[in-house]
Amino acid sequence: MGGNGLNSREKVLKLLNHEEVDFIPCFSGMGNIVMDGLKKYGLQFNEVHQDARKMALAAKATPELFGYDCAIVPFDFNVCAEALGSKVQYYKTEDILYPSIPEKIIKSFEDIKLPSDPENAGRFPVVMEAIRILKKETGNDVAVGSWVLGPFTLAGQVTDLTKLLKDTFKKPNEVIQFLTPLRDLLIAEAKLYQKAGADFITVREMGTPVDLLSPRVWKSMIQPFMIKMREEIGSPVVLHICGKTNEIIHFMHECGYDAVSVEHQNDVAMSRQKIGPPPKNLLLGNLNTYKVMVEGTAENVANEVRAAIDGGVDAIWPGCDIWPGTPAENMKAMVETTREYGSKKKKGG
Amino acid sequence: MVDDEKRNDILKRLSDGVVYYDEEKVIVASNEAVEDGLDPFDAIMNGLAAGMEIVGQLYEKQEYFVPEILMCADALYGGLNILRPHLKAKEMKEAVKGQVVIGVVQGDVHDIGKNLVKMMFDVAGFTVHDLGADVPLEKFAEEQVRTDSNIIALSAMMTTTMMGMKKVIHMIKERNPDVAIMVGGAPLTKEVADIFGADGYAENAGNAVQEAIKMISRLREMHAKQQLGATP
Repeated sequence: MGGNGLNSREKVLKLLNHEEVDFIPCFSGMGNIVMDGLKKYGLQFNEVHQDARKMALAAKATPELFGYDCAIVPFDFNVCAEALGSKVQYYKTEDILYPSIPEKIIKSFEDIKLPSDPENAGRFPVVMEAIRILKKETGNDVAVGSWVLGPFTLAGQVTDLTKLLKDTFKKPNEVIQFLTPLRDLLIAEAKLYQKAGADFITVREMGTPVDLLSPRVWKSMIQPFMIKMREEIGSPVVLHICGKTNEIIHFMHECGYDAVSVEHQNDVAMSRQKIGPPPKNLLLGNLNTYKVMVEGTAENVANEVRAAIDGGVDAIWPGCDIWPGTPAENMKAMVETTREYGSKKKKGG
Repeated sequence: MVDDEKRNDILKRLSDGVVYYDEEKVIVASNEAVEDGLDPFDAIMNGLAAGMEIVGQLYEKQEYFVPEILMCADALYGGLNILRPHLKAKEMKEAVKGQVVIGVVQGDVHDIGKNLVKMMFDVAGFTVHDLGADVPLEKFAEEQVRTDSNIIALSAMMTTTMMGMKKVIHMIKERNPDVAIMVGGAPLTKEVADIFGADGYAENAGNAVQEAIKMISRLREMHAKQQLGATP
């Protein structure tokens, strides 16, 4: 099997460092908690978002149980919005319900108030502490990652998205003005997570696929923000967008991230052609986290893993947060098929 | 009364105004329709809604994206607000008599798709019970029973929230299997909608509009059949 003698962390970092590798890792930069992992540590889904210790345990259970190559925090999309003053609703039910923001408090650029001390703002310190715990308890073996949103996606969390979208047409300069301070806070957030010890950062600009914005608007409005974030955050850093991305994959790639990440609606073979070969150009993806991972059989998962590898991905990477209800046998099938088929493929098999 | 030439002219301007998100044009044409005595139902369905159907097609072809659709929707409402008060009781009867409960499932606050689908139901003359966003799952079933609505439309924009839909569908179908359930949102696929047991599915904002139109015409057929069945 490829990656002889290397542990999970070394494999992930070698890949993201653009070295020639003879293996395909199985990891992602997005949430990876599963119910089996919560059970292992006696946790409820609703208690892992505000407590650093519980957050870390939930994240590290997945590599422990299934040999997944990373542990990732946090799990919900509201950490930065909370630091901007949004009130987050935490659910108390036993259902798997991610926290949300019921009220958009920011109406215009003037309402944006950046925290004076980011290191102690909102849940930034909770995520930082979770990263420190992960580094200490599992950081020698698995890659510890964290992520931040992109400014457009964050804007959708804190302000009226309908107005924002229309303004991309009517008042593009105002949109750019609005997104700039958000970008700066997101960069600060990423740096805090690096300071706490994160091995790699993923920037999730989820709200900007071709389903929503035209490639032209992506290029003119979103790309400059992505480039700035890439420059400021530094390596290793991954850019992720979900939804349809084949039409913008080359623009994503131009931003200079160490890797681009896509979901199942992206035709990875086509993307591979557009961005060029590894190890310089890395493509991560693109397992369907619901239809295949949750509803499919282990065999379906194995087939999807093989199809993604055949399509040319450099890591098997679920295209979104792993849904906590994903069955254990599907998690195992994902990791094991990646190891076996990935090494075979790398040897030219 | 209006002759065919005048009618076609107004309908075309209504449709074009929606397609090219020219709210002013829609308002002028709508006022003219009222003044000239054009059937307001005709103006809504064959002018405004016809324009929105073209918008849906442009979205499918990736000529339009969501910002454009939102501006088209503004133009459409500009006309609808003028025309709807002039619908007479007779025309209201010809419109589908239907009620729909619509909302974004708990945990999700993204309501763009929901608002676009709501618009199509508004256009078709439905009574719309809009529950808003981040709606507790039981609320959909309660509201359906309270209003005796025949359609439930559920939206979720994130993979992390769409799972709630399965539960809602189950809850409602258990009590009332005849309710038509439509689901939509970015993370959904046709297969997932089928797994969830939904009757209709819209992958994105553009085909939400088309799917709503299809669903309304299906209901219209059902309605017509029922009426035939009721005739002695």
